[in-house]
Amino acid sequence: MPMSDTPKPVTPSGALTMLILRVLQSGSLHGYAIAQRIHILSSEVLAVEEGLLYPTLQKMLVKGFVTAEWGISETNRKVRFYRLTPEGRKHLKAELSDYDRVTQAIQDILRTA
Amino acid sequence: MGEIFRRIQYLLHRRRLDRELESDMEFHREMAARAGRSNFGNTLRMREQARETWGWTWLDRLVQDLRYGVRTLARSPGFTLMAVLVLAIGIGINVSAFSLFNMVALKPLPVRDPESLVRLERRSPGNSTDEMPYQSVLFYGRNAKTLSAAMAVLGVPPMQVEDDVQPTSISFVTPNYFTELGTPAAYGRLFDPARDGISNGAPSIVLSYGLWQRRFGGDPSIVGQTIHIDKKPATVIGITPSAFASLGGQHPDIWLPIAQQPYFVEGSHILTDPSVASVRMWGRLAPGVAPKAAAQELRALTDELRRQHPKEIWDNEFIQVEPGGHLQVMQPDMYRIAAMVAVLTLLILAVACANLGGLLLARAVTREREIGIRVVIGAGRARIFRQLCTESLLLALLGAAAGLALGYVVVRVALAQLDAPKWLTADPDWRVLAFTFAVALASALFFGLAPALQIARQRQRKTMVRQILVGAQVAASCVLLIVAGLLVRATQHALYTDPGFGYRQVLSIDPQLGRHGYTPAAARAYLDQMQARLRATPGVRSVSLVSLPPMGHSQSRFSTDANGSSIEVYPNSVSPEFFQTMGIPLLAGRTFLPNEKNAVVVSQSFARQAWPTKNPLGQKVVNGDSTDFVIGVAGNARINAVNDDDATEEYWAAQPDDLPEMTILASTSGDPGSLPPIAKSIGESLDSRLFPEIRLLKTLYHERVSVVEQIASVVSLIGLVAVLLAGVGIVGLVAFTVSQRTKEIAIRMALGAKRAQVLAAVLRQFLWPVAIGLVAGAGIAATASRVLRRALYGVSNFDPAGYALAIVVLLAIVGLAAVLPARRALKLDLAKTLHYD
Repeated sequence: MPMSDTPKPVTPSGALTMLILRVLQSGSLHGYAIAQRIHILSSEVLAVEEGLLYPTLQKMLVKGFVTAEWGISETNRKVRFYRLTPEGRKHLKAELSDYDRVTQAIQDILRTA
Repeated sequence: MGEIFRRIQYLLHRRRLDRELESDMEFHREMAARAGRSNFGNTLRMREQARETWGWTWLDRLVQDLRYGVRTLARSPGFTLMAVLVLAIGIGINVSAFSLFNMVALKPLPVRDPESLVRLERRSPGNSTDEMPYQSVLFYGRNAKTLSAAMAVLGVPPMQVEDDVQPTSISFVTPNYFTELGTPAAYGRLFDPARDGISNGAPSIVLSYGLWQRRFGGDPSIVGQTIHIDKKPATVIGITPSAFASLGGQHPDIWLPIAQQPYFVEGSHILTDPSVASVRMWGRLAPGVAPKAAAQELRALTDELRRQHPKEIWDNEFIQVEPGGHLQVMQPDMYRIAAMVAVLTLLILAVACANLGGLLLARAVTREREIGIRVVIGAGRARIFRQLCTESLLLALLGAAAGLALGYVVVRVALAQLDAPKWLTADPDWRVLAFTFAVALASALFFGLAPALQIARQRQRKTMVRQILVGAQVAASCVLLIVAGLLVRATQHALYTDPGFGYRQVLSIDPQLGRHGYTPAAARAYLDQMQARLRATPGVRSVSLVSLPPMGHSQSRFSTDANGSSIEVYPNSVSPEFFQTMGIPLLAGRTFLPNEKNAVVVSQSFARQAWPTKNPLGQKVVNGDSTDFVIGVAGNARINAVNDDDATEEYWAAQPDDLPEMTILASTSGDPGSLPPIAKSIGESLDSRLFPEIRLLKTLYHERVSVVEQIASVVSLIGLVAVLLAGVGIVGLVAFTVSQRTKEIAIRMALGAKRAQVLAAVLRQFLWPVAIGLVAGAGIAATASRVLRRALYGVSNFDPAGYALAIVVLLAIVGLAAVLPARRALKLDLAKTLHYD
């Protein structure tokens, strides 16, 4: 697959926490599935590198937004699944409303200026 | 809160969690590979980044640095040993000094609730005393609601047990003394307020554990038996425990109930006379009461007391409330001495640290390669700096451990030497440990910071830091040497110069007539007979009377007004022959007539201060409401202040009313050794109820001087250690400087420079630091010795010989330390050096 055919994927650095929280809202996932889900849902625009994904997940664990528990992957391997905590849910809500306000504001400027 | 808790969880389980993270990432790669995407990132680095979010990386790095530090130090055991030794000396001396201070002033007594014990002393803006009338103690004890108990201790001259030749030390105490301290008896019982608080109770005594062992062979059956104290029978009721902690660090061998004092000291009115201040007062604060509140209430009570006894209470008198639950109740001048000792010991630490700093810098040059490699493979300045600081910290902790051991040994030896109370042990408590740790951190900062900064910036070859280190070492050792020199000179002064009075052949005989209820007339009869019979004794040259005998148990000071200025004097009342007996020269005028009034004899120092240009004879001196005229000027004789070179004396003629408080002085033409037994038998024949205290001034004087000798020798030893440390440090630095400049030296010599010129060029960089260090050191020493002056016999703070000696010794050592290694370096092989690289 030659790289030049498709535009280079973008790394969603700033909003990664929010994206992870959002994809976990529908159920617990393992690390790779999180990255996949973000990639697919963004129509392959966003790519989450593991060098960014795992530090972010660790930070979210420490902050208590997610918990990790052992499960079995589709390839039959023991792997950790990340699950949203009530605290994470609350945080997501706050982040989303913040995000909405900011994008709204930016669009207002773009439309009228 | 939850986050901190989770972080700690991550610290505790980080091995497992790290494995889980690894497995997550491995799985991620497997899946990615399946999907046909490969990722070439560094797994290890990514995992590290992920782990960093746990917030414990610093700990990992610290452990890493410590491991590395231990390996580095273990690789050069010679350096490590030297560094730890230097630090052990510097830290050990400080730990010893602090341990002793801790023992005296910080450690609470092992008694019940030591925090609420207070020492109560009379103070007013112009007066102070540590004793008060027993009646006042009773008054305060009865009326003060802020005090839950009042205790009094009456110290008296030693008394005679059975027919012992050696008198035994004694204290009278209020019966609540032991119950308030919560002291259990080793055998029998101790005093009990209900049974021992009445004057007509059965005479009872408590023995100290030490006396019981020494004098009574540790036989428990002594309890209940009768023994005689100054010939009065009394029953032994108990023995104090061996590790008994008493108030104020006083450890008499026998304790007597204060209510029975009139029985043991016949005819005494001490307990009832409100004008005789004779007991020391202690109190226990009522629960929840602050010392300030107690002081406030006591001040009001003092005003009440003034209404009852207007003459006995000073203007603006108040009771000073000080924490009393320590070995020693600290007075302001004790803090001054403690501060001075602290400065001296910290100087040693400074020398040690400067020394070690030099060693570290020199070592850095040999480590250039190693550090260079680490920089090349990606270690930042900050990382190298942190690594070097960790190493310094490691060294400091090793040094502190060795210093702690040294301090322990020193304190043990000191305790054994000082015959300290048994409850004191050399084991470091948490205060000593905390102090040691703090000193270790501070010294790590002091010796490690500057070199680490230089090395991390790869500037270890710069001379500036080295110059500062040399200057600091020279200054600090200069102070120590000068102070040591002054102390040695002071000891010599004390030992070999005249203290202004003839102490060698004088005997003092204190019959304590006042304490036995003698009236002035009875005292006159007794003293006249005693004097007449002593004069008739062959070999006795002169006999006289004095109210405050030389080096006696008590002394007094007060301010007197002369020629418009106020002068602090040591007052004394004497009989006309006093100056002759004591061998104090009369420089002008005459001595007193018997009972002469309104006349004073002043010391030469007094006359110089008050009338520098006038003839002092006939001048007016005002003391409170009486006015006196100077009839004579005596030589300076610091009989009550051997320590104080600035002391001034003022004498009055003894009046008939003073006689019960007078002490007899007798001087002999030969050795006074045979006189005490004769004086004792004269005393016995005059009044067998009395037990005069007979003392040879020579012995008292030597006791005082030996203390100074000990202090001087300890300080000299410390000074010597400091100078040796500094010497070793300078040898190292110079040798290092020379080795660094070998090539330059070789070129200079090849071009024809003379050895002396090269030597001068190499050593020039040390010239200024040494000069500045010397000047700074001499300045600090001059300031410090002003404090010393009061505390020690005849130290003159501007003793030029002391200063010169110290500076010459220091210069000699510095010079030797600089020239020796430099000279050796100059014998280098030119061709070989120049061919090298």
